[in-house]
Amino acid sequence: MNIIEVDHLKRIFKANIGIIRRKTKEVIAVDDISFEINPGELFGLLGPNGAGKTTTVKMLTTLLIPTSGTARIFDKDIVKDADDIRSQIGFIFGGERGLYWRLSGIDNLRYFATLYHVEPEVSKKRIPYLLELVGLSDRGKEKVEGYSRGMKQRLHIARTLLHDPEVLFLDEPTIGLDPVGARETRQVIRDLQEEKKTILLTTHYMFEADALCNRIAVINHGKIIALDTPEALKGHVQDLSVIEVEVYGVPPDTVERLKSFPFVDLVSVEDRDQKQALRVHSARGSEIIPDLLSALDGIRVGRVSVHEPTLEDAYVRLVGAAT
Amino acid sequence: MIWRRFKENARVVLAAFELTVKQSFTDSFVLFGILVQPLIIAILGIWMLKERGGDYGIFVVVGSGMTGLWTNLVFMSGNSITEERWTGTLEFLVAQPTPIQWVIFGKNLASVLQSLLSMLGSYVLAALIFNLSLEMAHPFYFAISLILGVISFICFGLVIAPVFVMNPSVQRWQNSMEYPIYILCGFLFPIALLPGWTTPLSYLLSPYWAAHALHGASSGTLTFSEFALSWFMMLLFSAIYLVISQKLFRVMLRKARIDATLIGQ
Repeated sequence: MNIIEVDHLKRIFKANIGIIRRKTKEVIAVDDISFEINPGELFGLLGPNGAGKTTTVKMLTTLLIPTSGTARIFDKDIVKDADDIRSQIGFIFGGERGLYWRLSGIDNLRYFATLYHVEPEVSKKRIPYLLELVGLSDRGKEKVEGYSRGMKQRLHIARTLLHDPEVLFLDEPTIGLDPVGARETRQVIRDLQEEKKTILLTTHYMFEADALCNRIAVINHGKIIALDTPEALKGHVQDLSVIEVEVYGVPPDTVERLKSFPFVDLVSVEDRDQKQALRVHSARGSEIIPDLLSALDGIRVGRVSVHEPTLEDAYVRLVGAAT
Repeated sequence: MIWRRFKENARVVLAAFELTVKQSFTDSFVLFGILVQPLIIAILGIWMLKERGGDYGIFVVVGSGMTGLWTNLVFMSGNSITEERWTGTLEFLVAQPTPIQWVIFGKNLASVLQSLLSMLGSYVLAALIFNLSLEMAHPFYFAISLILGVISFICFGLVIAPVFVMNPSVQRWQNSMEYPIYILCGFLFPIALLPGWTTPLSYLLSPYWAAHALHGASSGTLTFSEFALSWFMMLLFSAIYLVISQKLFRVMLRKARIDATLIGQ
């Protein structure tokens, strides 16, 4: 039996615009999505900002009521049986919010343990265990306002595990963390996976989704545009090679010109500090490098490399094709 | 099952109480509402009423203490929810298995009990600094009235809270909720001084009955049957407020989940 079943879920937000002639504008955040998550599975929801990931998580965690469609967790409806679902799920939202900053880490955990009806004898043992798990044992008595962003994020993970939920919703848990903090958080997620927790993870970090998830749904403009294992998703671009060229200030018209070349399948540009990474997808591999370099004539070029397509390349192709 | 649920919810009330006390003693705005503002009102009251003579001292102490109680309740009820929204904890409070009403009950209990410090502060001010006579005519009736008053204030706060949960913009109206209650409930002067049409409004507010009984117990101007009526009305209105708040919470929480107002941007 699936633990989470999402069936044609849709959520529309309404916003009033104008002062004198007020109009209601509708924004479709989640548009008719369906998927299931198996017990013990780590399911990724991957998409750009504003794709509908957080809205989906908020509906599944009973914080938002869907406009239409249904979703069931443990065969219970997220709207009608919200009270029953809440004690069996845990969730975190990326960022520093959601904690009492003027209290210590331990006080925060004690409070939330009480709200989740964790017996005092149990929480006395569980809180030190969880602080140890997230690497905050020596800082638990300090006020949260003195914590770094990564520490707050790890305290959130401890908070969500207080009542030992079977299902976890982790909404961008590594967002804004430094590389060390992000790596530690990913390790905690791996540990939870080994404990057979069912996890829905949202992220826009491709390597994170690739490294952690059993299956991934790619979501864009509220719609699921692909759903498969990371390996199968990479299969979407298996016929292509990726030529990555380091450039310094590539103008948009040059990028557009590259896109028009018949041997180019897709072009993306990623800012990296002072330089940019120009990624060109092509079935002809390294053969196209001379043509590429001549097209970039007059632009300072750095390292050129050819590699196998990654999940990011598959994602760029999928999202690019859907827009 | 019922006993277990009662124990769990009682623990939640105590946890919310403890959290609110810890938070408010590090919040200068709350401390101002509890300690400084009632003292300012007490000084103004003593200054305005001194020409009237008699037992005005205890009247001012009780009245200014009640203003502190109400101010603190209305601001903490509202502000704490607004703060929870802005700090992102409101979502966690709504999506946990304990009904949020218990959390707010604990918060209101903390704010009302802390507010009793206002009354104590006014008492010390009047007795030590202004050297006023502060004799209590019926201390036992005063104690009963105070306990029932605390309960009725908490229940009144539970009616206000769901509105703040649903709509962030209600905070704008907070200040305008403060003085009408001072006036309609007769905290600092009798409602007989107001136009006759306002009297039924006063009778619908449990703080009025609390003020009526507390002022009566301190001055000795009420008979036992008048005390009994005030206590009954406080209990009756507390029960009515509880029923209303339960329904309001259900409706407002659903509306907040539809309108996506549980989070502040």
